[in-house]
Amino acid sequence: MASEERTQEILKELRDAVVNYDEDKVVEWSNIAIDEGVDPFVATIDGLADGMIEVGDLYNKKEYFVPELLMCSDALYAGLDILKPAIEASGRKPEAKGSIVLGVVEGDVHDIGKNLIKMMFEVAGWTVYDLGKDVPLEKFLEEQLRTDCDIVGLSALMTTSMVSMPEIIKKLKEKNPNVRIMLGGAPITPEVVEKYGADGFAQSAGTAVDEAIRLIKMLKEEEMGK
Amino acid sequence: MNSELNSRERVLRFFGKEEIDRVPVFSGMGNVTVHGLEKYSWKFADIHVEAHKMAGMAASTFQLFGFECAVVPFDMGVEAEALGAGVNFYSTHTDVVYPTISKKVAEKVEDLDIRVPSDLAKAGRIPLVTEAIRLLKEEVGSQVAIGAWVLGPYTLAGQLVDIGDLAKMAFKKTDMVHELLDTLAGVLIEISRIYREAGADYMTIREMGAGPDILSPRIFKTLIRPHLEQIFDAIESPKILHICGSTDSIIEEMALCGADGVSVDQKNNAAESRKKIGNELLLLGNFDPYGPMVQMDASQVGQVIKKCIDDGVDALWPGCDFWPDVKKENMEALIAAAQKYGKL
Ligand code: B12
Repeated sequence: MASEERTQEILKELRDAVVNYDEDKVVEWSNIAIDEGVDPFVATIDGLADGMIEVGDLYNKKEYFVPELLMCSDALYAGLDILKPAIEASGRKPEAKGSIVLGVVEGDVHDIGKNLIKMMFEVAGWTVYDLGKDVPLEKFLEEQLRTDCDIVGLSALMTTSMVSMPEIIKKLKEKNPNVRIMLGGAPITPEVVEKYGADGFAQSAGTAVDEAIRLIKMLKEEEMGK
Repeated sequence: MNSELNSRERVLRFFGKEEIDRVPVFSGMGNVTVHGLEKYSWKFADIHVEAHKMAGMAASTFQLFGFECAVVPFDMGVEAEALGAGVNFYSTHTDVVYPTISKKVAEKVEDLDIRVPSDLAKAGRIPLVTEAIRLLKEEVGSQVAIGAWVLGPYTLAGQLVDIGDLAKMAFKKTDMVHELLDTLAGVLIEISRIYREAGADYMTIREMGAGPDILSPRIFKTLIRPHLEQIFDAIESPKILHICGSTDSIIEEMALCGADGVSVDQKNNAAESRKKIGNELLLLGNFDPYGPMVQMDASQVGQVIKKCIDDGVDALWPGCDFWPDVKKENMEALIAAAQKYGKL
């Protein structure tokens, strides 16, 4: 077993390696973590995922841009490939945080932002069902019913594709009043969310997951209240 | 200055830095409207694939409203298609859906083996766009300036391969990406030449996929700018560089690419940009083609336009393609505002 001090050092190396998008270092320190008996779950959450949260901050501060984010995410996944089997072997089931169906609405191919959102949800331990881009409206409905996900996230970067959102929101809510709907993309504002009858919104990859958790909590409280 | 300048003369004199009566109001990007579609009862999906419809629509915004240009093409698939990508035109849709790339040439940059067609003039829809330019020249060429545009090399690369892989390779295998952009710059120079030869009066290069919403200013300088310079060195004037989104942090770099003017959208602080780039280079912009033209009341358009002029733009020019469902009254207000506030 690694000492507390050594554990902290390993976690820091993992965090830094993710922030510096250094895949080799991530692999090296993930292996060290396992060899020296650091709980792989802790290494994942307080090491890799913590690093990714810092990356999200750097992106919001415009110190990092899209390529940096994608490379950090590759580094993170390289570490997960090593730590995940170890977590499973330990018999510990990481609690699923929630699930989200995600896609860019029909007629719109702008998927850079959606892919960043996907990554942040995965990092946070969510199950993500990614429908991709240019997704027909019915597809969101089908996938929600199939997976019974907590959240449906709709992305649109164009004002024309955005206007198809109310219809899908209405249909989703009809079929499943408990599903929470989040919107995102440059033309989306809190006013649009309100007007379209959706539940939540995030301006950037940095805040999306917190917003989703808030929505689910609200839903649970409502249900308890009943 | 005699006030008899027609739109064509005004725009060409503007580019030639000759005296003009007022600030021109035009664009280097698509500006079709639903009103043009209605006039002809054409489907949006067809105007990308039939030369006479492309030409007719390109001229329609000038004919209906006096917007001072006729610009082709309208979609971002032309160059990629000529290099082997598939394009979805959404031909069964009756409403306005812009064509998209349905099949990339390769997933990864390293698997991309670009075969440049020996005769680009015959590749994909390039002959169709060229034909549309010829038709425009014939039909409205004496009244209005004809513009054409191509994507910038990085944005085009993003149409050919997975854009995420491209972004990562820009860091990890910079030389490989340089080589790709070099090839694509060559293709774009040739397409620009073909369009100019057919009768286009000015070219716009749209490198919107490489702005600070996506790439860092540092990468813009080291990876993107050299290939834009390569293009602007080789093509004839008038030539404009367009990048939309946040551009304040790269406007000086944009100014160094060798274009005659830079085009930015409403996210750019045009007054600051004017100071940064000086008065020699043209600054084209920067009204939002959506909010003021589609959503706002026509009475508010004048203020938006006045602000652009106060900020020091040389031409009133939208930040992106016009959004087709602009309101008639707003188009009229736009032209009226150019006449009112744009007097020189
Ligand atoms: C790159 C780009 C393209 C690329 C897209 C490549 C790709 N695979 O994505 C290409 C070249 C293909 C392209 C094509 C077109 N484009 Co374009 N494009 C852009 C550009 C430059 C950047 C968009 C981007 O990726 N931003 C970076 C990402 C990280 O930000 P983001 O998407 O906003 O995402 C963040 C948040 O919004 C949020 N978020 C996003 N989704 C979600 C979802 C959820 C659930 C949540 C919670 C949060 C969330 O988190 C993300 C991360 O922080 C913008 C202009 C600009 N600079 O913004 C124009 C822009 C979006 N494009 C525009 C246009 C008009 C087009 C075309 C129609 C042009 C044409 N003539 O064909 C075509 C569209 C074709 C089609 N049918 O889709 C216009 C749209 C105008 C409007 N009013 O609607 C824009 C705004 C340009 C402009 N200035 O007007 N484009």
